Amino acid sequence: MKTVTEEGVFAEKTLKFKLNQRDKLYSETGHYWGVKELTLKEQDPIRYERFFSRLQSSVFAAREKARFVAASPGGREMGESLWALTTAEGDTLAISLGFISHAAAFPVSIKHMTDNDFEENPGINDGDVFGADDPMTSGAPHPGDTYTLVPIVIEGEVLAWACSVNHIMEAGAPQAGSWPVFTVDTFMDGFVFPPMKTGENLRQAKWWENLWMRRTRAGAMNVLDDKMRLAGCSMIHHSLHEIIKEYGVEYYRQACKEIIEESRRMILDNMRSTMVPGQYEGSCFRISMLKGQQKIWPHADKDELIHVHGVLSVDKKGSLVWDTEGSSRWGYHGFNGYPGGADVALHLQMTTTFAHNVKATGGVNMNVESIYHKGSIYNPDTEFASCANIWAQSMQMECVAGNAIHLSFFMRGYLEEAFAVDDAWEGIQGSGVLDDGTPYGFTNFEWVGGTAMGAYSFKDGMPTAWCSHTQLCNIGNSEEFEYLIPPTHHLGRKLEPGYCGHGKHRGGIGQTAVHWMKETGQRLGVTRGGVATSLTSYVSLGMNGGYPAPGVVTVTAKDTNLDEVFAAGGDTPTTAGELLEYAKEGKITGNVKGWKYDPPEQSMGEDDLWANAAGGSGGWGDPLERDIDAVVEDIRIGQVPEGFAKVMYGVVATKDENDLVILNEPETKAERERLYARRRSESIPAKQWWAEERKKIIEKNMRNELLVMYRKSVCFDGYNKHFKEFWQLDEDFEI
Amino acid sequence: MESLTDQLKTEKKYILALDAGGTMTDTILVMDDGTFTVGKALTNKQNESASYLESVDDAAKSVGLTSAKVHEQAAISIYAGTGMLNTLLTGTGKKVGLLVTRGFEDISIMEGGLTYLGQTQSEILHNQLHSHTRPIVDPQNVYGVSERISGGSYFMDKHIAPGTVLASLSEKHVRSGVEKLIAAKVEVIGILFINSYIDISHEHRAKEIALDVLKKSDVDIPVVCSSDIAPVSKENNRLKSLLLQCSAAEHTRETITNVEKAAQADGYDGRLLTLLSYGGAVNVEYPRLYETVISGPVGGMMGAQVMSRKLGLKNVCTADMGGTSFDVGLIVNNMLSIRKDPDFAGHRLALPMVAIDSVGSGAGSAIWIDEYKRLHVGPESAGSDVGLCYKYDKLTVTDVNVAMGYVDPKYFLGGKITLDAEKARKALKETIADPLGLDIYEAGKGILEVVNAQMREAAKAIMVSKGYNTRDFTMMCYGGAGPVHMWGYTQDFELADVITFPYAAAFSAFGGACAEYLHRYHKGVVLTIPNGSTDAEKTKIALKIDQAMRSLEDTARLEMKAEGVDPEKLEYRYGFYGRYMGQLESFETLIDLSCIKTPGDLDRIIAAFEDMYTNIYPEGARFPDAGYAVTEVFVQAIAPKAMPVIISHELQGETPPDSAYVETRQVSHEGKFYDFKVWQMSELQAGNVVQGPSIIRDPMTTVIIPPEKRVEIDQYMVLHYR
Repeated sequence: MKTVTEEGVFAEKTLKFKLNQRDKLYSETGHYWGVKELTLKEQDPIRYERFFSRLQSSVFAAREKARFVAASPGGREMGESLWALTTAEGDTLAISLGFISHAAAFPVSIKHMTDNDFEENPGINDGDVFGADDPMTSGAPHPGDTYTLVPIVIEGEVLAWACSVNHIMEAGAPQAGSWPVFTVDTFMDGFVFPPMKTGENLRQAKWWENLWMRRTRAGAMNVLDDKMRLAGCSMIHHSLHEIIKEYGVEYYRQACKEIIEESRRMILDNMRSTMVPGQYEGSCFRISMLKGQQKIWPHADKDELIHVHGVLSVDKKGSLVWDTEGSSRWGYHGFNGYPGGADVALHLQMTTTFAHNVKATGGVNMNVESIYHKGSIYNPDTEFASCANIWAQSMQMECVAGNAIHLSFFMRGYLEEAFAVDDAWEGIQGSGVLDDGTPYGFTNFEWVGGTAMGAYSFKDGMPTAWCSHTQLCNIGNSEEFEYLIPPTHHLGRKLEPGYCGHGKHRGGIGQTAVHWMKETGQRLGVTRGGVATSLTSYVSLGMNGGYPAPGVVTVTAKDTNLDEVFAAGGDTPTTAGELLEYAKEGKITGNVKGWKYDPPEQSMGEDDLWANAAGGSGGWGDPLERDIDAVVEDIRIGQVPEGFAKVMYGVVATKDENDLVILNEPETKAERERLYARRRSESIPAKQWWAEERKKIIEKNMRNELLVMYRKSVCFDGYNKHFKEFWQLDEDFEI
Repeated sequence: MESLTDQLKTEKKYILALDAGGTMTDTILVMDDGTFTVGKALTNKQNESASYLESVDDAAKSVGLTSAKVHEQAAISIYAGTGMLNTLLTGTGKKVGLLVTRGFEDISIMEGGLTYLGQTQSEILHNQLHSHTRPIVDPQNVYGVSERISGGSYFMDKHIAPGTVLASLSEKHVRSGVEKLIAAKVEVIGILFINSYIDISHEHRAKEIALDVLKKSDVDIPVVCSSDIAPVSKENNRLKSLLLQCSAAEHTRETITNVEKAAQADGYDGRLLTLLSYGGAVNVEYPRLYETVISGPVGGMMGAQVMSRKLGLKNVCTADMGGTSFDVGLIVNNMLSIRKDPDFAGHRLALPMVAIDSVGSGAGSAIWIDEYKRLHVGPESAGSDVGLCYKYDKLTVTDVNVAMGYVDPKYFLGGKITLDAEKARKALKETIADPLGLDIYEAGKGILEVVNAQMREAAKAIMVSKGYNTRDFTMMCYGGAGPVHMWGYTQDFELADVITFPYAAAFSAFGGACAEYLHRYHKGVVLTIPNGSTDAEKTKIALKIDQAMRSLEDTARLEMKAEGVDPEKLEYRYGFYGRYMGQLESFETLIDLSCIKTPGDLDRIIAAFEDMYTNIYPEGARFPDAGYAVTEVFVQAIAPKAMPVIISHELQGETPPDSAYVETRQVSHEGKFYDFKVWQMSELQAGNVVQGPSIIRDPMTTVIIPPEKRVEIDQYMVLHYR
């Protein structure tokens, strides 16, 4: 079907025209589609609200029904899925709960299809089905996030899209799972596909299902997730046709523009009333340990230190500009991404923070300008950069931006809104072959679904209470994960004592899992996927003197004596910390190793263990100011070990044989004085510190990885200037 | 007419059904001719026996009797309420100790995340404020026990078989844990082991050991296993069911037992029954009493089920509009829809519950506009304060109904309360109409459009989201405000019929009296039916399903016998939960076979699954190539019980008697003023047709009949709105 006649009769109805006109009018007027007056709302506010309510309920109903088709716990109940209704241009009109920031990706796919004349070839017809997961062309952060888009077309005009996304179980990369770490370029990212037509009349083509079955290791599960996305989109498609029939196309067109413009204004109001204008700067770092792992690709066979840098600027109107200049140049690793996916990460908290009390639409995106410099890890100047693990990198960026917002809230006095933002989640992934030759791939999302809440300025954070990428904090059930991933059994699934950012108020305690391998078949290979390993300093710098959250720790134990421990009725390790402790004490023997960076794939056998600790959050304020009774309570409930309480909080207390905690008040007073005295003795004036560090930079007296990191940051002009100004370096200085 | 006595085969005359709410204890007393009367008393939370007797006495007085006289002649007394909710919210339940699989000691703190349960959309989005629900068990009273049993896997017989012992039970851990719990003075001990829904042996052995330790310590407290309470997958939900049973249900059992004793002392010679969340009634001996946790809205659903059978309706959408919410549910093929993991007071349970969806639109819902001139309705509600026209400080839906003329301010609760109509009109003008630049009646019309649309969308969603055609459903409207808004929420809605009742306001209590004596039993299984299974393989699977059904029937017979029911009189219904291989959610599928033994039987239940699935989802969501899995088998066991009788009246003429006419008054309806005739409900007769514009008034509710509409009254005094 041709939608544009040679005479241009339908030109104003084409996607290309709509996208151009929307951008032109917004740039000229500062209003969405140039809508300055909310005419429909003014004329009949009740009809207008009813119209929106119809749109919203169609999307909610889609999620509530479709998610039960899923194969992945993430898609069904852990908030790792989303349905939305967008305008023809891809701007969100109504959105379900779940992966809401993925609304930032829909316009990217639609723009790609428009720029590539999809209306002409392959054609965009009512009820067609399109799919995408390519970060560069679809806005997907990484290939594990898979999108379905269904156009709503009336008389040849695309009026809307029903969209959906969820995180699938296995992405089909050389390294199994859904977040491959050891990648060189996009050809190692797995089953990557740019926006393409995969079905018609609300049904997928058979070849599409075959492709999933052939190109991923969890084909049947991925097909079911695909069916889940489409089932919800079909419902939205059906509802919108009914709504347009009732209200008419003209009302629909105008109301969509007004709804998004209205929402944009309200969100801007929220930003203005909760933020303090100014600039908020932050940095954090990640190591990519590939030396020795990529020998057949020498250009990738190296260790790198990646710099994440961002400045959040808030103007008087409340608008935000997020500039990542200074973040490292892209590299031959999986920690690169493209702007659409980076926006998905940046917007994680924007909707929950600024749009929870308004119509949650694409209006939120318009109040935030993001700048990802060409050539950087967030915008590589090649089409072939690997994006397999960008989510890890983007989450660091998002937490820097998130903490800037929370600091601003704190300054404005919104104490109950402001906490130390961290999202140190983690998953395990891999593949195996059962004894009978059956192959499989898997991802365990459990710690993706929930992390601890960071500390507030007036209270401790809670464990497993929050999640930055979804509002539906849910870590799933052990019994389901074991059902899906047969060789892994939980020997422990609990909180890791002391595993949080400490402070006057401590972050929520992180969680830990000990996976016990049984009947590993012909082979079982496991790696980690997630965010918070392989970083040298975590994303949150702590708030007002509090410690940041600890990074994720992985502990592997191979060739263990676990069968003997069970036979003797001995205690088995239930946390990552216990596993290390038991190994130290000789209770568990074998090859036990702790990893603070991404371990290469580990081949696991009978009675081997894979443990991790993740999801701890940052503290707020000086730990030495923490209420002594609160520390005693932490000891009583087993969340802070006695020895650690002394070192961190200066509280001297012991548990007696009845588990009663006895506080030694004089020793506590003395210990806190000692700790203060030690701080004073170890401190140097900031001026002295600056001079010493500057000398190191001038002399290039540092590890090579650090030197390379600096070089890959100062290659961006603006950051180079910023760097030289701070360290007062000569104009012609080159690091 | 079938008499109550005939049905009971006894000489008893009455049925009592009580709904003990947070404020009031309502009684419905069903007489032997099927008519009934209502009694009320303030709920006495310290002594529910007292408020029970007072409420029964109040109902008895209205027919010239006393509570003792009624009790002597009562065939049955049913007592449901919110006692368990109150126990949970106030933290006044039993002190619980818990034994869990070692490594899961923090499960009650982590509670699977789920910090958003029970919140509104905007609250869920505002996740900076999320926090956990208060734990039901003190985390210090949780002890780990080394043990491990396999739950089986997606790969079935290619990997470890379900029920395989991976680590034996540490009896030492059980003993030391129980000793510590005794020292902590817990009042009940719960046991939750991973995968116990597949194999109960470790939990049951741990219970034996625990009882032994308790006996030796001379402590007499209950020990409860999760596999006996909710033998289904997902340990977090199973834990919550276990804790609810341990903490609140045992507490509630004591309360109900006391009420039962009081009723018996007053002359009642039967067992006091209470209502299950999935429909049905049980007595206090029922082992899983936590299943009665949500019983209020269930009453209406059961009433609707009885009425739908009486009226020959296969598919019904129930619409219950009260003061704070609008609850919708479905009856399909005369069966209630069941939800498996409902949320309750911030906890997600493993509990079959009648599926009911709610929106915050009730007669008492507050109405306001925000700084962006957006109109909001609810969820805040005036409750018994009604609105500005009575005691509340904000404009409510009832205020609007009064201002528009739908509700007579002089006849609220039959005239017991006079509402201030002028205050309602003034508030509507000042808080809504003026800021929006509308005339007062335009504003009122708009508000009602929004309220009615919210309810209409909720009702549509529950049907359409399950793939049903609304034209196949009759909407049954009840609740105090149901008949007032029936015209609005059914407008432009293609339905088979719309009906309501003279006793719509007391329909939930009536439904309680209609409850079947029913138990529902579930058994988790791990069975797969791969594509291309041979007949021998199918037979093997069929026999396993059959075995599960027989085992559930055995349990039903034992439990019912212990409750005093003759096992020979039990009837059974069967079903299973199935899915395509790889899916995580299983879907309830009813089966019309009582035995599953052959490949043909198995094919029939697969066909039943496919029928059910394609009713819900589009064709593109089917995936038969993947094969099928059966994850649960369930059986319903039903015992005979006294039921109210729906009287059939002789049809009179279409014209209502003169005695039914009350007055004519002006009502602003849909932007115009009309003269509405007002009729008295109690004077109307079977066969009468009331033409709109009319209002039928009753002390408990008001039926609005707009112009061009009418109400036809059938032989059962059911009002058909057409």
